[in-house]
Amino acid sequence: MGTSITQEQNASAATACLEAINARFEGTGITASVEHHSNAKKYAFVRMTCPPQHWIALAKWMRHDLGVNYCSMVTGTHFPDGPDERGWEVAYHFLRQPIQDQTPNTHHVIVAEELTGMDIPMEFEVFMPLAQGDSPSVPSIQSIWIGADWNEKETWDLVGIRFEGHENMHRVLNPHDSPEGFHPLQKQHKLRYHDHNEMYDDAQGFMRKPADEGRVK
Amino acid sequence: MAQMWITMGPQHPMTHGLWTLRVKVDGETVVDTEAELGYIHRGVEKICESRDFTQVTPYCDRLCYVSAMTWANSYIYAAEDLLEADVPERAEYIRLISAEIQRLASHLMWLGAFGPDIGNLTLMTWCMRDREMFLDLLQELGGSRMHYNYPRIGGVKRDMPIGFADRVIAKTKLFEKRLDEYEMMLDESTIWLVRLQGVGYANAEEMVNAGVSGPNVRAAGVNYDVRWAHPYSVYDEIDWEPAVEKPTSVKGADCYDRYRVRMEEMRQSCSMILDALNKIPGGMNTNYASGDEMIFTKAPTRAPEGATGFSNYECTRGASQFYIQGGGDGRGKNPYRLSIRSPMFITIPFVAKTMIGYKIADIPAIMGSFDPCIGETDR
Repeated sequence: MGTSITQEQNASAATACLEAINARFEGTGITASVEHHSNAKKYAFVRMTCPPQHWIALAKWMRHDLGVNYCSMVTGTHFPDGPDERGWEVAYHFLRQPIQDQTPNTHHVIVAEELTGMDIPMEFEVFMPLAQGDSPSVPSIQSIWIGADWNEKETWDLVGIRFEGHENMHRVLNPHDSPEGFHPLQKQHKLRYHDHNEMYDDAQGFMRKPADEGRVK
Repeated sequence: MAQMWITMGPQHPMTHGLWTLRVKVDGETVVDTEAELGYIHRGVEKICESRDFTQVTPYCDRLCYVSAMTWANSYIYAAEDLLEADVPERAEYIRLISAEIQRLASHLMWLGAFGPDIGNLTLMTWCMRDREMFLDLLQELGGSRMHYNYPRIGGVKRDMPIGFADRVIAKTKLFEKRLDEYEMMLDESTIWLVRLQGVGYANAEEMVNAGVSGPNVRAAGVNYDVRWAHPYSVYDEIDWEPAVEKPTSVKGADCYDRYRVRMEEMRQSCSMILDALNKIPGGMNTNYASGDEMIFTKAPTRAPEGATGFSNYECTRGASQFYIQGGGDGRGKNPYRLSIRSPMFITIPFVAKTMIGYKIADIPAIMGSFDPCIGETDR
């Protein structure tokens, strides 16, 4: 049919990316591996772990030499019970998507099965574990991918991870006058009233007291 | 003339939801803009941390009320990655059919809302009439009109009812003819062309770098569709071709290109539905009982700490992504962290910047052509 990327193309692109990363960043503490999704078509992607001090170098290299032109997602996670070196984690998801047909009035139809090398779409996942503490921070990649701008704003707003060098950081989903230091996805903020029986015994909620009363702001 | 800021929204017909666009104008010309979001932030990501994996699906339905089926599917694929579930092929076909029907309904809602923005009220009534056909079909599957809670981790809730396939074929074929009627009305209307052509140029490379996805970049000639680039359902087994528009200017795609690409996408969805019905394993006029192994495989319900799931899904407005970490609730029954990437959350700030240099009267046309949905933006 020719419309979809095949498993072989996907596997070869993933291996090529892995070899390039290993050749360029050997000995820096950046680790990379090829993983497979366990849903749908079990496609391969590249997973990396990167210490924050090497992040800008890796990001610029990915953008310019690996053709990763799309920053799709930035996720922060809080691990208050985790080990000392992993109290927070930032997970980035990137895509490489071929840009073609920039000239008007030329309609170049992509036959997916004929794509080779850097033109094959690929997915990248970068984990960045951060040490325990009150002020986790990572360098901002806003200047490399504009698409990271609002993703980083959201991650700071909801999780409280600071992005060094991010311009024009402000609240996006929470009210603009939220108290400083309030980031609802941190794990010390518990959801109230989610116990099933409690909800149905007291549907109106008049008698209800939060289970964590006095412990949450 | 002095410049001034004016506020459009949160209650304004242009917004297609609740958000604020602050516009700095010099006379009639837009010189700066600022988008403010977050008016209907419900905290879905936090709520999901206290729900088990099955209970999350209805919340994902409600992320976007015009394309509930695609959002639920998007979550289901991430959960299946996390829980390592196998899905029967018939269920994958049913998911594909339901997602494409939802895409038709969603694009019709977009066109119906876009028409009045431009001054064409007839379009709204026509689109609502045809959208109702497809909502009826989805209601047969999920049991409700808008929020279906239909896909399950490991399959789908129930099989297609007897006669469903015939109704799908009849309605899809009727709708293909009606698409021609739409084009006759719109492409020959001077008002439609004058308001859309040459307005709201957006360059392909800038859009990709800014994270815009889906029909909005395909209108600018970027042939990128998750359905072929990272095939997830049975999209590699059916005949189709991504709808890509060639830009008519070096400046990129204008509002008219974005309208064209969605019309073409609706045609593709119609042919995908018809092709999938012909190829579905087990036959289109068979009805398997709920829980039958043809449509459902039992999946694990717990995920260990450290396991992650990710899905990249072509939603109606672009690539929607879910990222889930397992091991919540101490026993792995809940997600520890569930993160939702909404295509519109990234697109709206970009669109606000593309308006600079155009007139105030062009703002509804530019904004509407990108198909904003605030339910998924604010989550």
